[in-house]
Amino acid sequence: MATTTAAVTLTSDLLSDNMSVSASTTCMKAGTTADGLDQMEYGYVDLATGDEYDLIAATPTATKASKLYLKNHSTDETYYIRVMLHAQEIGRLYGGDWMFIPADFHDADADIMITAIGGTNKICYALFHEGITKDASA
Amino acid sequence: MATTATISISSDIAPGFGGISESMTLTQAGTLTDIDSTTGFQIRKLSATGAVDLVTMANELVEPKDSVAAKIFIRNIGYKGVIDKSVGVTIGVNAEPIGKLYGGDWLMMPLTCIDADDITVNPATDDTVVVEYVMFYEEA
Repeated sequence: MATTTAAVTLTSDLLSDNMSVSASTTCMKAGTTADGLDQMEYGYVDLATGDEYDLIAATPTATKASKLYLKNHSTDETYYIRVMLHAQEIGRLYGGDWMFIPADFHDADADIMITAIGGTNKICYALFHEGITKDASA
Repeated sequence: MATTATISISSDIAPGFGGISESMTLTQAGTLTDIDSTTGFQIRKLSATGAVDLVTMANELVEPKDSVAAKIFIRNIGYKGVIDKSVGVTIGVNAEPIGKLYGGDWLMMPLTCIDADDITVNPATDDTVVVEYVMFYEEA
């Protein structure tokens, strides 16, 4: 079984006492306890301001367990990308920010779209999944 | 100390993949100033299918600023120490399903915090499950 593990440590001093949370999960196929995600895409793209980019070229199979990591490696903190899923804006990743979500590609339009603002954003992404719907050759 | 988040991903799916290890300091939009507000760390117990609000933006006592650099961490922690990897809770934004957190899974994602973009949770079954979460945002 392929094994993919995602861990996070979150700390904050915004509360009256310091908060520290650690979590780790092994990324499994949907609804199983014995079989891990076994396919992945890993990429990097420069995106000029105003450009929109469909981040995932092939659509992972709907209702399967996909995990998406995305980081804005821009060093200018005023640069950001808008992250959309199926025309719904999730939020903005400014230079240095990352996100990790269990992306739900529930139909053909449920793509991850990013739009660069402020300058040329440097985006790194990784998608861990359990199968894609392959595009027909042109 | 500020608010920081560090992610580490390891995988043996692709030969040669060296893993990912990245940190970020949560700052206010377009600046190096630390983010300044939080919901605090909370849990929500769910015992029935059907989407309910985890965060209702318009009800936050400290109003979040719209379309800036907010983030939320959510984790499915199971129930009474039992973490079921086979059953998930769908996380949504403004009724759009973002993805399903199976037992033990977590997410960290940015938010718009506009009033329409409430964060919803929808368990796949009627079995009791608990999610923990904390949102960091800028005060309007």
